[in-house]
Amino acid sequence: MPSRREFLVALTSGIGVTSVSAAAVRAQVTQTFAGPMQQDAYQPVKLAAKPSGAASMSVAERDELEHQIKCQCGCVLDVYTCRTTDFSCSVSPRMHSDVLSLVSGGYSSTEILRAFQDVYGERVLMSPVKAGFNWLGYLTPSVVIAVGAIVLYTLIRRWGTRAALKHAAVTVPSDATPAEQAAIEAALRNDS
Amino acid sequence: MILVGELSLWVALLMAAWAATVSFAGGTLARRDLVASGERAIYATLAVVVLASVGLWTALFSHDFSIKYVASFTSANLPKAYLFTAFWAGQAGSLLFWCLILAIYSALAIYTNKTRNRALMPYVSGTLALVLIFFLATMCFGANPYERLDWIPPDGRGMNPQLQNPGMAIHPPNLYLGYVGTTIPFAFAIAALITRRLDTEWLAAVRRWALVAWFFNTTGILLGMWWAYVELGWGGYWAWDPVENASLLPWLVNTAFLHSIMVQEKRGMLRKWNVTLVVSTFLLSIFGTFITRSGIISSVHSFAQSPVGNWFAGFLIIGIVASAYLVTTRLKDMEAEAELESMVSREAAFLYNNLILVGIAFSVLWGTVFPIITEAVRGEKITVGPPFFNAVNIPLGLLLLLLTGIGPLIAWRRASVSNLQRQFAAPILAGITAPFILLILGMRDVAAIIAYSFAAFVAMTLTQEFYKGVGARRRMYSEGVLTAFNRLVARNRRRYGGYIVHMGIVVIFAAFAGLAFRTEHDLTFKAGEAHELTDPWGQRWRFVSQGVSTYNVLNREVTAIALDVSRDGKPAGVMTSEKRQHVDSRGAPTFEPSTEVGIRSSFREDVYIVLAGVQGDESAELRVTFNPLVRWVWLGGILMVIGGLIVMWPQARRRGVQGGYAARMEPRPSSEPERELVGA
Repeated sequence: MPSRREFLVALTSGIGVTSVSAAAVRAQVTQTFAGPMQQDAYQPVKLAAKPSGAASMSVAERDELEHQIKCQCGCVLDVYTCRTTDFSCSVSPRMHSDVLSLVSGGYSSTEILRAFQDVYGERVLMSPVKAGFNWLGYLTPSVVIAVGAIVLYTLIRRWGTRAALKHAAVTVPSDATPAEQAAIEAALRNDS
Repeated sequence: MILVGELSLWVALLMAAWAATVSFAGGTLARRDLVASGERAIYATLAVVVLASVGLWTALFSHDFSIKYVASFTSANLPKAYLFTAFWAGQAGSLLFWCLILAIYSALAIYTNKTRNRALMPYVSGTLALVLIFFLATMCFGANPYERLDWIPPDGRGMNPQLQNPGMAIHPPNLYLGYVGTTIPFAFAIAALITRRLDTEWLAAVRRWALVAWFFNTTGILLGMWWAYVELGWGGYWAWDPVENASLLPWLVNTAFLHSIMVQEKRGMLRKWNVTLVVSTFLLSIFGTFITRSGIISSVHSFAQSPVGNWFAGFLIIGIVASAYLVTTRLKDMEAEAELESMVSREAAFLYNNLILVGIAFSVLWGTVFPIITEAVRGEKITVGPPFFNAVNIPLGLLLLLLTGIGPLIAWRRASVSNLQRQFAAPILAGITAPFILLILGMRDVAAIIAYSFAAFVAMTLTQEFYKGVGARRRMYSEGVLTAFNRLVARNRRRYGGYIVHMGIVVIFAAFAGLAFRTEHDLTFKAGEAHELTDPWGQRWRFVSQGVSTYNVLNREVTAIALDVSRDGKPAGVMTSEKRQHVDSRGAPTFEPSTEVGIRSSFREDVYIVLAGVQGDESAELRVTFNPLVRWVWLGGILMVIGGLIVMWPQARRRGVQGGYAARMEPRPSSEPERELVGA
């Protein structure tokens, strides 16, 4: 029979897992699975051109920027990859067109990403912005691994000490008389 | 036959229920007759699941469109090879396929343990039967492949064109063989926990099964990468898609187990950890299936959203709670026999390796579920894509690569300074020299330079191991180099097969680093128009359009562009890329158009051409990508598979003490001089 403590540990872990899974199932109800292409997902992202009017970046930089914006057709690709892969998608070419007009309007990468985020929400970015709650996403893996490393270090130190003690126990003759034992200890003290 | 198949599903469910009941009862009451009945019931379950499978294949080949599954995933003009693979193209069929593999594995596990592990077997049979019950019940009540339509359509919807690829014919079966393979070690772990027989015996029973699962999971992942690369047209082979991540999770944890198992076999340590890894590997397989089938997270690989996800969520919860209960109540039975003596020892290196592997698994899992957590907490949807996963996992991957070289060279128990000097001098030299050479050659990407430095270090450690082993054999037996190499590997398949797997990992990491130099070009071609591009190696490529053509083939309408290609002024052949619109037998479009990529592959790079679209004036829009070192990804994968096969291959029984990790070590009396045991 398990002890009360063992039972509580098992119960707590079970409840924790159940809660997380239940949240996942609840989310499943509200979550919309992308499924077939959503051609009506496009929303215009328009801003008046800046007075300077000069294009803000090179073509390569623009393509790199489009790699950071997610196509909203449901394909889970970025705008650049989707528009250069799938000609049946009408969303990515229009998002690309918005990027082009913002670039020629003199807006920087940060400003363009912000403009898209204002219209579509944060889901339009290929990775979450490093701010607020999202830091939990970025930092948790590192924290967990760091904690794991500390636990591992502590365990190995503890095991090493125990192993050394075991070896020490092996070296002391079991049939040593108290006088012999005292002599050995005195010799060890002198050595140190 | 179809009706027999349909009925067989229900009979199989009853059989599995009987197997579970009498197996657990037989184990608890120590009744051999009940245990034997349970085992026979597993064989019977296999027989009826085979009948159910044959029934579905019959329905697919006979175009029985009254069955919803057949009408949903096939059409009258679908090539016969894909009628066969349609079995696992959809939700319900793939569940039956999973069940078929599980029934075969279960019968094999019971057959191969007729005279071994008898105390564990009732609970092994019972656990396997419980998992079978889950899958059969999910089919019977949630997603029945034999579900009928109210009317019979004249033709089916056809198969998704992206699944009409040879890679897709073998990728899912391999992945399923890997996923399902984790069930057998799980069943043994549960049996060991229930019976409290948590010594090394149960591990011996599951090691080969864990290897089988690892082998097929590896092959499945590699084939999936290849399929995504040649078929989907986005230019890469890994996109950190949730479903891709789901296949990686059990692979990572199983890989950790295959390393830490050696520490338990050799030193009697890490018992709790190993049980946890075995259980986690299975549960992560189920989690992966849950992600694929629930539609909880958007993925290009997902099956349609269905209530089956709830079944999997329920099973996952029950599995986690039951496993957590069993593990936490058996902790005292899993005390280590020996203590780890030093931070610089083989067993410590395995622990570091486990930390990184499990750490990567956690970060992948975390990134995969973080959108759900964010939506639950903030009510806002976010996307966690490649930039996140790359930022988190590239440093960890590099650390893992480094450990791949360090672990095998450190002595067990405690490495001495002389051991470290002797083993690491040449690898460190290689690791330091490589970046200097690359810098001189003009490479400036820091991450790539670090990757190649580590790769050189690990490659040298592995080469050194083979060199020493072959040299020793040549001196002792006067063998030729090839014979010595063959016999070295054959006599210790586990160690040297493992090294070959590691060499595959090195090659794959080196190839991954090549992605840092990938270049993409977005071009428009009119007929006869030419474009010139420079690749990452500095070669000049010239592409001349031969024009766009359209034609019909079997079940598709094709739009294709042909490009006349030359490299540095020398002809390099013709490359084509296609857009395919699949149609049913009446000529009606069935799916969105799919891409057929043009790939010109060499050891240096792949030239990857995707026809994005054709404008009204017949000008074609293309993406031309130079993907360096992609061929090395596949070659590294082949090395991993060969290494895995060598490790799995049964070692010939020989008299006397065998090599490998069969030896057990007792604590060393201090009166003895310190010995080093490198390799084993």
